[in-house]
Amino acid sequence: MAARIAGYLGFVLVDKARLAQLSGEMDLDEAGLRKVDKAISEQGEIDAETEACVRLLQDLIAQLAEEQDLVIIGRSTQGLFRDRPGTLHVRVIAPREFRVRQVMVHEGLSERDAKRLIKGMETERARYLRLLYHLNPADPNLYDLTLRVDRLSIDQALKMVVTALDEMGLRQVPRDRIVQDLLPPVPEKRDNGRFANAAEREFAHFLEFYRIPFEYESRTFPLETDAEGRIIEAFTPDFYLPEQDLFIELTTMKQSLVTRKNRKVRKLRRLYPEVNIRIFYQRDFYNLLAKYGLLTDEQVSSE
Amino acid sequence: MNDKNENIVEVLITQEAIRQRISQMAEEIAAAYRDCLPLLVGVLKGCVLFMSDLVKQIGIPLEMDYIAVMSYGGIHRPTGAARITKDLDCVIEGREVLLVEGIIDTGMTAGYLLRNLEARQPRNIRVCTLLDKEVRRIVKIPIAFRGFKIPDRFVVGYGLDFRQLYRNLPYIGVLSDEVTGLDRNQGTKIFL
Repeated sequence: MAARIAGYLGFVLVDKARLAQLSGEMDLDEAGLRKVDKAISEQGEIDAETEACVRLLQDLIAQLAEEQDLVIIGRSTQGLFRDRPGTLHVRVIAPREFRVRQVMVHEGLSERDAKRLIKGMETERARYLRLLYHLNPADPNLYDLTLRVDRLSIDQALKMVVTALDEMGLRQVPRDRIVQDLLPPVPEKRDNGRFANAAEREFAHFLEFYRIPFEYESRTFPLETDAEGRIIEAFTPDFYLPEQDLFIELTTMKQSLVTRKNRKVRKLRRLYPEVNIRIFYQRDFYNLLAKYGLLTDEQVSSE
Repeated sequence: MNDKNENIVEVLITQEAIRQRISQMAEEIAAAYRDCLPLLVGVLKGCVLFMSDLVKQIGIPLEMDYIAVMSYGGIHRPTGAARITKDLDCVIEGREVLLVEGIIDTGMTAGYLLRNLEARQPRNIRVCTLLDKEVRRIVKIPIAFRGFKIPDRFVVGYGLDFRQLYRNLPYIGVLSDEVTGLDRNQGTKIFL
C-alpha cells in the first residue's frame, strides 16, 4: 500500500531496504541496521552505541524529508514528525487474524511463525517509539487518519490518503517548514589549536610525516544562495591536497552529525562535478590508525 | 601450509593463487624489460616474500636492491617526517627501476619513495605491487604491475605484518578486529 501511495504521488518510499542503502553512506550498513533492530527488540536497556545509531537514523530520515517528499514506513516517524506541518500520519490497522493471514501469504510462513513475526515487530516498534520519544504507538492522538485495511481495497485506501492530503493542504507546505529545527546544527568551531579536533590534527600530522603538501579548510564551496545571491549554505572541506587535486573531509565527529555532512558532500558533488572529494569516515580513520598499530598502546611496527 | 592462524578470520588469497599470479606477473615484467637490465627495488619489509618469489620467475637478467622507510608513529610519538632507514646500495641515475611493494593502500609510502627516487634521475621508474587496496588511496600511484586488487580489509601474511607478526604466513589473510583493536574502537569516540 505504501508503495502504491508513493508511486501515485511521485513521492519517495522510505522502507527498510531504502534506509539500509542510505545508511551505508554513514558507517552503518545493513548488518548494522539489523543489529540495531535486534538490540531494540531483545533488550530491556540498550547501550549508548545502539542508541546513537537509532538517533542517527532519525537524523537521516529528517534530512531526506528536507530534500524530498516521502512516504515513510515505521521507524517511529509518528514521533519524529509529530504535529509537524506538511505531514500526514496514517495508522494502518486490521484484526489480528487478518494480519496473520497476510503475513503467512506474503512471507510464506506458518501460522505460528507469522504470529511470532507480528509480535516481534509490534514490540520492536513500541520500543523504538518509547525509547526515542516516550510515546505509546497505540495513542490515537499520534495519527491523523486510521485505516482498517481488512475492509478496504488498496485503491480505496489510496484515495482516502490522497483526499486527506489534499483536504488538509499538506502538499503546499514547503519542505523546510516540515523539518524546521529538527536537524542539529553542525558545530564548526575550532578548539584552541589550528585544527577543529584531534582527528584533523592526527591526519595533518600524517600528511606532514609523508611530506604531502596540504591546505587546511582552504576553499569554501557555496551550495545554496538566496534570491539576492547571498550564500545561505556552504561547505568547506577539511583538507585539500594540491598534488592530488583532492579534497578530504573527515567525519570522525559525533555520529549524529555525519548524515548532515554526507548530504552536503552529495550536494557539492552534484553542483561541482569537477571537484574530487573523498570522505574519510570514522571506519577509514580507524583502519589507517590500525595499520600503524595506533589503536593500541604499544610501540608501532614498521611496514 | 594454508592452515589458518587463530587470529586470521579469513584466507583472502591462497598460496596457490599467489603462486599463479606471480608467475603471470613475472612474464609481464620480463616482456616489459626484455631490452634492458632493470633494477628491482624492494620496499622492506613487506616485499620480502613477494620479491623473492617474483624474481625467481623473471626469465631475464636483472639486479636487485632494497629500501626501507620509517613508518608513521602517530601524533603522540613524534618522529618528524618520514625518512629512509635503509637506502639503496647502488646509483640509479639513468637506470630502469621497478619499485616492488607488498601492498599499496593510501599510497603515502609509495608516493614518498617515488618522489625520493625520481629525484635521483633514473631513466624510468615503475611500480609493481602484489596487493592494491585502491579503495583507500589518497596519493595517486601509477601501478604498472598489479597482483590483486583487494577490498578494504586488514590483511597480513606473505610478508605483510601487524606489529611485525604474521609475515611468515604463506597466504594473505584477514586479521581479526580483536587483534588490530578495531573492534574496541568502531562506533565509539575517537582518540588516542
